[in-house]
Amino acid sequence: MKLSPVIIWRPIFLFIAFLGMAADIYAQDTLKADSVVTANRGGIENILSGNIAGLRIKNWSGTPGAQAVINLRGLSLDPTSKSTMPLILVNGVPLIASPSDINGLNPLSYYTADQIDRIEVIREIDRLAAYGVQAPNGAINIVVKEGKPGAIHVNANAFAGANFLQNMDSGKDAFYNFNTGARHAVYGDGGFINAQNLIVDGSGDYGSYLFGLTNHQDKGYIKGTDFGRQSLFLNARYNITKKFSAHFYNNFALANRNGRYAGEFNREMLLPVVNDEGFMMDKNRNVAVLSSMRLAYVFNDAFKLSSVASLSYDASSRDAYVPSDILGGKIYSLSATLKRQLITLKTSLDYLHSFGDDLKLNMTIGNELRTNDDRLTSVDGSRSLESGGSDFVKVVTGYNASQTNAFSNHDVEKIVSFYGTWQWNYKEDLDVNMVLRADGSSLYQDKWALYPSIGVHYDLKRILNVPVKAEVAYGKTGMLSRPDVYRGQLSAYGDYFGGNELGIGMLYPAFADAKSVDVYQLDLGLAFRVLPRLNIAINYFNKDYKNFTYQRYQPNIRGVDYVFETGGSLGLSGFELGLAGKWFDARNFSWITNFNIAAYQNKVNTLPAAINNTSIAYLGNLSKGDAVTSLTAYEAGKVKVIGNSEPEAFGGLNNTIRYKNISASFTASYAWGGKVVAESFNSNYYADLVGNTFPVKATETPYYYSSTDVNGRTTYQGIRAVEHLSFIRLNKAALTYHFGAALKRVVAIKDLQLFLRGDNLITITKYGGVNPEENITGVRRKDLGLTGTPLPSSLVLGLKLVL
Amino acid sequence: MKFCRLIPVIMVVLALPSCKDSLTIEPDNKTVVNGYYDSAQKIEQAVIGGYVDLRRALTANYAWLWYGEARAGDLQVAVDYQQTILDQKLTSDNRFVRQLTDWGYFYDVIRDANELLDVVNNSGFLTKYQRNLYKGEALALKSTAYFYLARIWGSIPSAEKTDMGKLLTNQEAVTLASTFATEAKGILPWMLLNDDGIESVAITNVRFSKSAITTLLAQQQLWLGKTQEAYTNLTGTFNNVPADSLSSFGISSGVDRRTELPAAPLGAAVVSLGLDRLNAIYPSGDTRRTSMFNINTTQNKATLILKDATILELLPKREINLLIAEAAWRTARLDEAKTSLTRAAAGATENYNALTDATFADALLKERRRMLIGTGQRVFDLIRFGKVPAFITAFSEEDVQKGAAYWPLSASSVNSNSLKQNTYWSTK
Repeated sequence: MKLSPVIIWRPIFLFIAFLGMAADIYAQDTLKADSVVTANRGGIENILSGNIAGLRIKNWSGTPGAQAVINLRGLSLDPTSKSTMPLILVNGVPLIASPSDINGLNPLSYYTADQIDRIEVIREIDRLAAYGVQAPNGAINIVVKEGKPGAIHVNANAFAGANFLQNMDSGKDAFYNFNTGARHAVYGDGGFINAQNLIVDGSGDYGSYLFGLTNHQDKGYIKGTDFGRQSLFLNARYNITKKFSAHFYNNFALANRNGRYAGEFNREMLLPVVNDEGFMMDKNRNVAVLSSMRLAYVFNDAFKLSSVASLSYDASSRDAYVPSDILGGKIYSLSATLKRQLITLKTSLDYLHSFGDDLKLNMTIGNELRTNDDRLTSVDGSRSLESGGSDFVKVVTGYNASQTNAFSNHDVEKIVSFYGTWQWNYKEDLDVNMVLRADGSSLYQDKWALYPSIGVHYDLKRILNVPVKAEVAYGKTGMLSRPDVYRGQLSAYGDYFGGNELGIGMLYPAFADAKSVDVYQLDLGLAFRVLPRLNIAINYFNKDYKNFTYQRYQPNIRGVDYVFETGGSLGLSGFELGLAGKWFDARNFSWITNFNIAAYQNKVNTLPAAINNTSIAYLGNLSKGDAVTSLTAYEAGKVKVIGNSEPEAFGGLNNTIRYKNISASFTASYAWGGKVVAESFNSNYYADLVGNTFPVKATETPYYYSSTDVNGRTTYQGIRAVEHLSFIRLNKAALTYHFGAALKRVVAIKDLQLFLRGDNLITITKYGGVNPEENITGVRRKDLGLTGTPLPSSLVLGLKLVL
Repeated sequence: MKFCRLIPVIMVVLALPSCKDSLTIEPDNKTVVNGYYDSAQKIEQAVIGGYVDLRRALTANYAWLWYGEARAGDLQVAVDYQQTILDQKLTSDNRFVRQLTDWGYFYDVIRDANELLDVVNNSGFLTKYQRNLYKGEALALKSTAYFYLARIWGSIPSAEKTDMGKLLTNQEAVTLASTFATEAKGILPWMLLNDDGIESVAITNVRFSKSAITTLLAQQQLWLGKTQEAYTNLTGTFNNVPADSLSSFGISSGVDRRTELPAAPLGAAVVSLGLDRLNAIYPSGDTRRTSMFNINTTQNKATLILKDATILELLPKREINLLIAEAAWRTARLDEAKTSLTRAAAGATENYNALTDATFADALLKERRRMLIGTGQRVFDLIRFGKVPAFITAFSEEDVQKGAAYWPLSASSVNSNSLKQNTYWSTK
């Protein structure tokens, strides 16, 4: 093994250099993975948390392997919908990033921070438009590390520690405050958390290579909910000739999580729900691979051709069994598999041209094919012990079809796109970006849609002698409307006479006008250097979402249950401010700060007429100008808006201080102004029994929900409190000791670090529950649907070794 | 390698996926409308779909009884909103009553029929028998749905392509229904064939045949007051027809997962007749007391004897003579009317030969009540004979003039069609 000379301070200088880059004028758009504190929890989104202005990472669940809600200027009709999630790319190829519907395991946990070089956040329309309908709500590109010069380098690190719940108060916990006995049976004394990563890399004239393997185990905090992930990855570049190169990337991951009935399997069951949970089984298993092959050919200085094919595959399975002592004498079992695959092929041609000395054009034209293919199969059944079931038999086979349900579904979706980008540069001060993209989608009869955008970026430094950059961009993208409705659907009505004949009729008619939601976006930006060591970037954006597709119910003369139509428009606008300060940068001491804040406002612009006869009737209580994320409830028989589940402002603060061999970093995230509606566990009444009035008790708020039960009786659900979700949280903190000087004589070791790292260490909030972000919809429902398990803290001790 | 040599290759690669076909996916887990109906068997599925929707329209929540006998108190339906309807509180907030005011299921039938007509007209592979049968059944289903709509709600919107949404008066709606029935009558066979091409009584009893459509058309003509046309229709069709060519029409109860549909619509567990009412309708000595009912004196009720529990009869053969009697009487053929009524009312204690022109109506209404019990026509008969206040005492003659005999419109009909309740129900 040939080893480069030992320069003890080099790793530290590199470290500082990376931080310096992070404080660059584009600090808000690119995050160097090595420059920030990584999280103990799995999931790449946890690295980003608090570090990017406008990127909201909502850690709603403490269950290991759960994905946080990720939102980057995202909005849709249904605030809990997956469609608000940004597009996630790895090395520029799309990844199946949303958790599987059947087990919720987070695909972003298949990657470790150690294999990531940087994360690019794309949200300005003149860059985003190049992704068309794939990225109406921003894009996040994870760029993985490549081999560094040299024959071989070894980078190994490991950490171990524990999860714990600080001052756990059962009265605060959303699930167990009405079942404290269960809490003791289910919460552990702190689950073990540990990880090991090994990466080997190198590069030379032949190209570069980097491969690694990782292991991550997180026992969580609820007994028996342990999560594990192993991955194997390779990033290799091979220079076939001087002009022709191949780039291969592969990440193979296995993930698993065991579940437990309590608080996870079904939170709507009647009390008492938890006993010792004997024979309980809930096994979730994922196998995932991301593989991409890029071929690039450089014809000359002006022309480049590249083609990249990728496959993202995610097979998730769930096998669950619930014993009879929980289901009152019945046993239940479920087996489900969801296989998702996403294949893309992207080919592009780059052309660089200079029109004299001042004007340059960088042009790219290309096309992209994208095919999604999802297959779901599931079987479930239940049987009572009396009819022959046994607590020792963990698979139920029904005697007849009414005891066993089988389901199979297959969805295929294709997108074909052609795009062109024209980047004009004039005298290096003025950049004009033009993008034109045409997307053809298999979801619509009228397949094609055109998305243009333009952006102007001007650096005023040279002409005004002021270090200011200004930008303005405007354009259009689209958001796919699902499902495929343009051909209508027939439905079988079941056997008619004698079991021979099937009745067929129309479920819904063809909807030829089906199309994507139109998203119009305006960006204004200003970035300037206030002091030599302080950069500030301010962005304003305004997005208009138009023409959503929804169902209009037809209890009426059209003779179908519903038809589709398009309409409605929503708006989202906001400011983002990012501040990057490099206060000190001396040999023995440095201090770097990143601060960001974003204030967003979403609103209803127009809603369809007679909205109560549509599938978006839940927005019927809102009027123009109200936030889409408004929380509404009844007060004295009238519906009113009692808050907004989205915060008025949110952001993060990041500080890194180094003194000699010791460095300390922390990231805090915060939000304020949002509200949480907490339903009361014990004020649920039949309206007729309480004289159709509310509140009934002095301790209740005047607000309540009204619903109709299966017997047609009106029920009032009282609201215990409307709480503030404002909080500030010490998200991540790390203390690192670099054994630089001490290892001077140990030739083989380039760097050795010992670190102590904590997640979710302190949360300051007035919120009455454990975690102010635990409610996805902003409503803490009585049955705790869409409310997560408590978010634990964790503390680990680790060692990082670079050979 | 010269770049220009690659240009054609790039062009081909870019052009290949751009054609529309490559963006059209044939789903393997659902059935899309386009191109589905490519065989007679599949078209027959659509026909059956129409009958299944008619079954839902009539049997969901025992609707056909609530529109018919049960609303007039002739049959009891053991559901908890029974009294609400008996009190004629049809604008009640009870969700089942609200559902009964919704006409959507009937329009489903019309929609099915119109789709079916399109499909039949555009398929060249059907035999003449199949084409006539499917088209005739589509027209008959549509005619039935419009006729029910008009009799239940009075004035209704059209769901025809040419005047979608146009509000039709009761006369216009039934006239529309009768034009479909007339067309269907010309092409429907007396007996339907099974898959082997053999005449099948079982199939004929649950689908529209010439007997059924003629009966339906006669009902419509009598409703419209076109008595001579009804007489010509009935006698011209049924005279000299062998008895084994005649058939009843009923709704077959098959397997249906929709939970609002009762498995046994006239089952004894739910539908019954109080003994007082039985005695009032069927006097002692009337043989139909025992031929039609199981009498349970301990429970003080009678339940219907079902000859075939799998069929809910709507247009029974036994109505033919009643209709002929009515058409003959209304066209001043009293003797023929009396003969037909006597022939129809086998088992009655009365001597109908003594009837006069003035007493005939009451006798006929009485026999229709007795013989057609369970087919859901009672309230329609009361409307047609102008007898609603006499039998539904909650309503005065003035109420009926204002529209009380019809059902109120559902909230969704009022909201999304900007229709108005009639004078009676708008004040409730």
